Amino acid sequence: MIRQTSLFLGYELRFLLRNPVWPLFGIMQPVLYLVFFAPLLGRTTSSGSMPEVLAMFTPGSMMMIALFGSLFAGFGMINETRNGVLERLAVSPAWPPAIILGRVAKDMLVLVVQAILVMGVAILMGLRIGLPEFLIMLLLMAVTGLFAASLSYGLALAIKDENGVSQLVQFFAMPLTLIAGLFLPVSLGPDWLQTLARFNPLYYGVEAGRSLFRGDLGDSTIPIAFALLIGLALITLVWSMRSLRRLAA
Amino acid sequence: MIIEAHGLRKTFHAKRGRGKTEEVEAVRGIDLEVQKGEIFAALGPNGAGKTTTVRMLATFIAPTAGTARVAGFDVVKEAARVRENIGYVSQAGGVDENNPGIDQLLLAGRIAGLSKKQALARADELLAAFSLTEIARRPARTLSGGQKRRFSIALGLVTAPPLVFLDEPTTGLDPQNRANLWDEVRALRDRGTSVLLTTHYLDEADALCDRLVIIDNGTVVAEGTPASLKKEVAGDVVTLKLKGVDDAAEVLRAQSYVKEVRTEEGLLRAYLDDGEHGLPHLLRVLEERGLTLESISLDRATLDDVFLRHTGRSLRDAA
Repeated sequence: MIRQTSLFLGYELRFLLRNPVWPLFGIMQPVLYLVFFAPLLGRTTSSGSMPEVLAMFTPGSMMMIALFGSLFAGFGMINETRNGVLERLAVSPAWPPAIILGRVAKDMLVLVVQAILVMGVAILMGLRIGLPEFLIMLLLMAVTGLFAASLSYGLALAIKDENGVSQLVQFFAMPLTLIAGLFLPVSLGPDWLQTLARFNPLYYGVEAGRSLFRGDLGDSTIPIAFALLIGLALITLVWSMRSLRRLAA
Repeated sequence: MIIEAHGLRKTFHAKRGRGKTEEVEAVRGIDLEVQKGEIFAALGPNGAGKTTTVRMLATFIAPTAGTARVAGFDVVKEAARVRENIGYVSQAGGVDENNPGIDQLLLAGRIAGLSKKQALARADELLAAFSLTEIARRPARTLSGGQKRRFSIALGLVTAPPLVFLDEPTTGLDPQNRANLWDEVRALRDRGTSVLLTTHYLDEADALCDRLVIIDNGTVVAEGTPASLKKEVAGDVVTLKLKGVDDAAEVLRAQSYVKEVRTEEGLLRAYLDDGEHGLPHLLRVLEERGLTLESISLDRATLDDVFLRHTGRSLRDAA
């Protein structure tokens, strides 16, 4: 099983290494936000210093890559439902879950590498973060990527239509972004917004990130975020594997 | 027997609007027996149920009813064992446009359990056999239709399976590529591989297969070798264009050397076992009745005549 998953992962990574430019485009958006938007946020933090602003803003900009990158991971698979690739794999001796798992593993890796680059830019700009926090943040990104990519493959296999998936992802991405407090913490907002945010899994991801960047390892949002994202990732993963099995019907 | 299917059925439930579903009977009870080492064709018009049948035999979809054993294993209960023993080349081809063919061959080999070295050796073998070595490293989207089709067949053969399914293997190919592909399919059989292919081309079934079934509307309407099926109809067909088709048909039906007569809008087809000898008689009789011909042709009976006989319509006209 691990062998099969790593074979599919290797195949995907070879493609990526031949075309390494595209994931770099993915980090342009958060980097641009860091450079041009974060400096505007001086007044939103208590001291107004750049390191403090970056600690608040960087986690949100990293979740952005997960939302606008990994959530579109399934796009390539829609084409594969039509060109016979999935049909061929379905009747091959391959272990079926590996077909999804290999791809999801690739998307997790891509997201982690993107996260390292974004954090690198933030550190160059003045962000201070300890090594344990840095590593836990990468783990959090990996889990987020697992969830977002599985959801994307599930949607792709269930809807099988580029237009439909693109509209649906866009439709959900915007409110999720706003209600998670991706740009500014929802704690600045009214109670109803804070209540609403508690139903958004992304909110916990962003808040856990902010706690980590503050060096507050004991904050309750961190275990909640991990538990929630892992739980959702497992559900969406099973769902996308089931959709793959039902491909023919 | 490499394939044995009894009473295969497949009913799809297609959604039609809100809450309504429509049952589509794609396959309505098909029996098939394919011998080891033969090229077996399923001939029929588009929508006849050929692809659905092949998909059931290849374990891609489960039959609604009926049973099938492929390479000695049950397609439902022992699907994994069936998969180890078949190659399946779908109509869509299954070639990943973004990646080079060699990567896809290697992955297919590795997931089937080959070591890196074995997978590489097998890929090289297949690339050479299908003249693909030169273009093995190019992304598949840059290849021509014929090259892609050869890759898709090579992908189906990675495990050197005893049985290969080819679903409409030559659709969309130019005549040159088509003829080459026929040779490659024959070479497969010569190496001992059994082949089940589907086609809606009469000449393809006629030239390529050892035995065939004609499928229409989800059922088998005829089965046999191309020669035996054509012989059942007759050796030759005389096609006449004339006024008074009905009169002519009546006259010809009374002739002992005419096996069967079919008419359609100003055309009359008379089936004769021995066209060369029958034709002079036939012309004389028509002349005696004062029926004037506009045109006449004498041809060998084709599988289309077989199809016509069993379904009442020409395969060329069938949707």
